[in-house]
Amino acid sequence: MTVPFTRYLKTTALLSVAAVGLTACGGGSTPAATDTPAGSTQSPAAPAEKVEISYMHRLPDGKDMTKVADIVDRWNKENPNIQVTTTKFDGAASEMITRLDTDIAANNGPCLAQLGYGEVPEMFVKGLVMDVTAEAAKYQDQFGGAFGQMSVGGVTVGLPQDSGPLVYMYNEAEFKKLGLEVPTTSAEYADVAKKAAASGKYATVFLPDEAHYWLSGQAAGAGAVWYSAADDKWKVDTSDAGTASVASFWQGVLDDKSALVVKRWSEQWDKALAEGTIIGYTAAAWETGFALDSLDGTPFEGQWRVAQMPKFNDSDKTGPDGGSGVAVMKGCEHPAEAMQFNAWFNTQVDDLASQGLVPAATAVAKMPEKMERQFGGQDVMAELKIANERMSAEWSYIPGFSSVGPKMVEAASAAGAGSGKVADIFTVAKEASIASLKDAGLPVAEG
Amino acid sequence: MSTATAQTSKPRRRWSRQARHEAVSGWAFSLPFFLCFILVFIAPIVSAVRASLFKQQAAGGGLYGNAGGEGGKVDVFVGLENYVVAGTDPEFWKGVGRVMLFGIVQIPIMIGLALALALLLDSFLVRRKTVWRLGYFLPYAIPGLIAAIIWGYLYIPEVSPFADFFPNMEGNPFFLAPSIALWSMANMTTWTYTGYNMLIFLAALQAIPRDLYEAARIDGASGWKITTRIKIPMVSSAALLAVLLSIVGTIQLFNEPTILKKLTTWMPNTYTPMLMAYQTSTGLLTPSGTGPASAISILMALIAGVLAVAYFFAQRKVNQ
Repeated sequence: MTVPFTRYLKTTALLSVAAVGLTACGGGSTPAATDTPAGSTQSPAAPAEKVEISYMHRLPDGKDMTKVADIVDRWNKENPNIQVTTTKFDGAASEMITRLDTDIAANNGPCLAQLGYGEVPEMFVKGLVMDVTAEAAKYQDQFGGAFGQMSVGGVTVGLPQDSGPLVYMYNEAEFKKLGLEVPTTSAEYADVAKKAAASGKYATVFLPDEAHYWLSGQAAGAGAVWYSAADDKWKVDTSDAGTASVASFWQGVLDDKSALVVKRWSEQWDKALAEGTIIGYTAAAWETGFALDSLDGTPFEGQWRVAQMPKFNDSDKTGPDGGSGVAVMKGCEHPAEAMQFNAWFNTQVDDLASQGLVPAATAVAKMPEKMERQFGGQDVMAELKIANERMSAEWSYIPGFSSVGPKMVEAASAAGAGSGKVADIFTVAKEASIASLKDAGLPVAEG
Repeated sequence: MSTATAQTSKPRRRWSRQARHEAVSGWAFSLPFFLCFILVFIAPIVSAVRASLFKQQAAGGGLYGNAGGEGGKVDVFVGLENYVVAGTDPEFWKGVGRVMLFGIVQIPIMIGLALALALLLDSFLVRRKTVWRLGYFLPYAIPGLIAAIIWGYLYIPEVSPFADFFPNMEGNPFFLAPSIALWSMANMTTWTYTGYNMLIFLAALQAIPRDLYEAARIDGASGWKITTRIKIPMVSSAALLAVLLSIVGTIQLFNEPTILKKLTTWMPNTYTPMLMAYQTSTGLLTPSGTGPASAISILMALIAGVLAVAYFFAQRKVNQ
């Protein structure tokens, strides 16, 4: 007798909650579907009640940088109704994705999270990001070409934060001393490397640990498009002329020992840079924010400059090495407000530049004082803006690129050690890409 | 009726009430243990076994598996497919092979060292035993990952006090070269766990009745004879325990390769099976996801179980 009664009570309780929910949503959707954008886009831009947004990032927050927390504090003061809390994730990118995966499955995920462009398709396939196409469109004109990197198959999931076009960084004083010209083509690049190596210096460095984004970015700059769609299937092709030109350049400089082979993130690298052995290398744009920190106070301070990537395969483009955006995560209760903050945060270009980023927003960032000193007063931001405009627009990543990367790094390590060929890196990339797509249950065109 | 039976079996009833009381309080006391045991031990195993039978696949069709809607992965029941994939992957068996090679070389060295240290500390030669005991045990008290990081620094020529004297090999610093790295890891493990195993032997040695030594001395046995004829045979069961623990520890080899992997570029994500399982779950290996990762872990658990049982029986046969 009591059982049906309590059940009756529970049912009425649920029904009344549902009714309240329905009215709150304006009858547009069921209360269970709070994660669909349809219901949420109807909520007003400045809600009467306080909305809380959580944001997980992995910006460096280092010395002399405008801290993320300080930027957000400013927002919180100006927007009492949209309060943002931030969490800094200190692990590797892959670990952050695993964390987001489990948190979102447990309905405990953040509203906004920083994702690398290469990770966006993967997060989309995993169903961890939200479709905010309509919201994002409102802010599109504030962002440059990287806006497209936050879209997957016609669905926009967030806004871009920074981009990492490949550039060439070099020590101008050393170049003058050795009578070297800044290379503008791959042939000149090889020539400069050879001359520098003859004097015991390196004007190019092969970075096996960065092979995945670094070499695929160079291929993109040379005009390669590894991943494309054909008949609604993935087509993977790494045997184009652009990729081949990248392979032959690196094989050449490795064979005649004019490239230094060293891990980018290692003690060996720091030592070689501090001793002045490295006088030039192909770098991601975001490296300008901190790469020269260890040269502060040494005779090398202020000697380095940024130039455009030398042309490969006669292509007047450069490619992406990293760069990230802020996406709205599945389960976010207030996507409209989250996107409002997202657009604001990613257009705080001066603050973002102080974090060492090359902001994706169209507004040009003021040069941080530190950068001005380290690059001898060169207008680095203007140079990087040119690189941003030269970025290959056709290039995109597949879902599951993160499992392709380690295989490329392994092959690059073998190529660097002389036990393999540079071309193998790209063969491996193709095989691993196809395996990864098939494993995820996505269609692949053979051939 | 009930009162009658109660009266006839009064003494027994009082006894049984006490017994019941004891049983109840016994269970009440052990309940937290069983609850925790189920929560932290049984439940993860059940969940891992369940997960290993599924595979994560894109939900819909199309390039991004969204087929017009939002993306999303679904769990597809695949039976034993994950086990077949892992079990037929040559990389997996290469990893198992590395771990086996590691164990065959490292465990005897470590156990031998631990026994030697324990015998030294137990002998009358050493003074201030507590200091030595603590000193040898200290590496074990340092978190494994911290120890691995410290050793990592000792292996890089740029910051190491000794690695500079060794030549580069195969394009890598000596200690990080593909053919040496396994032994660099073995060195780290030995450093960490020798003191721990020494304590197991020391406990066993101290449990030996002292009058045995006295009797042996009266019979004219030398210190060496006492060590080889009395002490070592009497700690063989402790050795069994130490070796079993080491086998399990070797199978789980993870910290050391994880750190050395950060210092090198040649090391594959499949270097040891546990590294492979982890990288599979974080999506840095194909096939990826919790399903294949669980299958790898369970396969390794089975292999560890088989090895431990095989060792146990082999040891018993030798002792007979």
